[in-house]
Amino acid sequence: MSEKFLQVKDLVIEYTSGGQVIHAVNGVSFDLEKGKTLGLVGETGAGKTSIAKAIIGVLPDPPAKVRSGEIFVEGKDLLKASDEEMYEVRGNKISMIFQDPMTALNPLMTIGDQISEVIAIHSGDGNTQEAKKKAIEILNMVGITAERYDEFPYQFSGGMKQRVVIAIALACNPELLLADEPTTALDVTIQAQVLEMMNDLREKLGTSMILITHDLGVVAEMCDDVAVVYAGEIIEKADKVELFDYPTHPYTNGLFGSLPMMAVGEKRLHPIAGMMPDPTNLPEGCKFSPRCPFATEECRKGEIPLREIAPGHYCRCLHAARKETPGFSASAVSEMVTAGKEA
Amino acid sequence: MSVPTIEVKNLKKYFNVPGGKLHAVDDISFTIEKGQTIGVVGESGCGKSTLGRTIIHLLESTDGQIFLDGMDITRLNAHQLREAREKMQIIFQDPYSSLNPRMTVGEIVREPLELSGRFNKKQVEEEADKLMDLVGIETRLRNSYPHELDGGRRQRVGIARAIALKPEFIVCDEPVSALDVSIQAQVLNLLMDLQEEFGLTLMFVTHDLSVVRHISNSIAVMYLGQLVEKAETEDLFEAPLHPYTKALLSAIPSVDVHNPSKRILLKGEITSAINPKPGCRFQGRCPYATESCAKQQELTEVKPGHFVSCCRVKEINQL
Repeated sequence: MSEKFLQVKDLVIEYTSGGQVIHAVNGVSFDLEKGKTLGLVGETGAGKTSIAKAIIGVLPDPPAKVRSGEIFVEGKDLLKASDEEMYEVRGNKISMIFQDPMTALNPLMTIGDQISEVIAIHSGDGNTQEAKKKAIEILNMVGITAERYDEFPYQFSGGMKQRVVIAIALACNPELLLADEPTTALDVTIQAQVLEMMNDLREKLGTSMILITHDLGVVAEMCDDVAVVYAGEIIEKADKVELFDYPTHPYTNGLFGSLPMMAVGEKRLHPIAGMMPDPTNLPEGCKFSPRCPFATEECRKGEIPLREIAPGHYCRCLHAARKETPGFSASAVSEMVTAGKEA
Repeated sequence: MSVPTIEVKNLKKYFNVPGGKLHAVDDISFTIEKGQTIGVVGESGCGKSTLGRTIIHLLESTDGQIFLDGMDITRLNAHQLREAREKMQIIFQDPYSSLNPRMTVGEIVREPLELSGRFNKKQVEEEADKLMDLVGIETRLRNSYPHELDGGRRQRVGIARAIALKPEFIVCDEPVSALDVSIQAQVLNLLMDLQEEFGLTLMFVTHDLSVVRHISNSIAVMYLGQLVEKAETEDLFEAPLHPYTKALLSAIPSVDVHNPSKRILLKGEITSAINPKPGCRFQGRCPYATESCAKQQELTEVKPGHFVSCCRVKEINQL
């Protein structure tokens, strides 16, 4: 059964800063089925976090503005919802884990109170005793004992704080969890614990999830589908196995080529030459064309469509073709590097 | 046999903290041969950065000896230290806070050249331009201030500054952790090019195990101030022997979607190295811990070139 829980259509987000318009998200569309996990992958500034913030309705306005698009959750457009309606949605239906656990918690409130606050607000009966009991249950679920209920954030380590942030996000059994780099600030051993816990909870509660990360290893372990974001556009989108076996867009290949773990036995990495374009002044046509060795005249004008190159595998490139054999193409990437050096 | 560029013998660095002595670096010995790279890995708080900083005298060691090209540099007066500094440099983790915001890129790179007293004004200019060409800082950026640069370029400035006086040994303290993967790859390639060109000896401190595997010849794994395992890079990744290293390596998320890695989940978190109890510091989290682990552990060579500090290493690995 493919029940579309979330549908994002042609989302456009702009920030205005010092008279300049920053084109953060430029027409992003995707669906998410119930119980599935979608990975949004890309570098700093690609627009991943803006997409998530738009879904949960916490984009700071000003400077951010959703110019156009629709975000349907179970058929209801959240962008048209009133503040009161969004208040109901946030925390209850959708919740978000923010990137930095060190700053996401209130330093003046105990850990326990921060969790029970969410429960008390959303269950609506204001019964603090009941909320406290539930908060302790959730703390246990994320592996923190009840004795630590009355402690403050500074008494917790990074990994523990991230568990608390996750506990708050899960307090009202949301149907959709937006996780923005949930483990980036953590050591690998703690990351492993947190990912394991998120997997368990997802299985237990059937939560759908959008996982924002730049770590392709985390995507490989956690996601069902992957969308690669570049300069505010989805440039490639597929089922995880398909994408990892047949990365097709030159940028996706560049990302894989930058990973030290893909280069075992090779002397040098194959990074992408150059940098992401300035979001106030995006290139015409394909946004990746200034860095791309395959770019031709046609790439530099008009809209580049997201083509379906294999069932369920979409790629925003005029020239890239899905390879015959699986694996990322180091040779394509080396060509990119040489071309980049000449440019 | 040639003299190793860096030799560290029983190095200790303790900090006085409320509640006792923090054993940040506790009895660590190793050598780095000329032109080689050693990777030092471990979780936050294990003492890996302190180790690097103590070796190049940013921190005064508590006990033990440090040799540079066979010369004991453990205790130096101000004048000697200044000379030694020309041979030992560091690249810091955070390119956002390690550059003086009130100096231009050009001034930052020129400063060590001027202070060395080896060059006249014209030579300083030429040398600095050469350095900036080498690390890839465009001419148009040379009068900019650090805040006008992105992270990758700032880290290039940090690298140009560090290699300005042709040091022999550079401590790289998480030099790419703050950068995006594609920029990270550019900086790693630059470091490896420079190493080849100048025969640099590097100590690469990081928590990113895949980076360390790519760049290092050998790897030292630290846990709470101590070395728990040391081996050639491929030996360590192929067959880690210490229970902590096994867990650490298994925790790296694999990009192989067909063979997901089997994780060894550790209980709890790294504890603190304040007044540590004798015996293995990992025993509280170790799935193999027994009573014998309460005694002092020795770093012993269990296979040629492969050192492990675990009394049960033979049983666990059936060696």
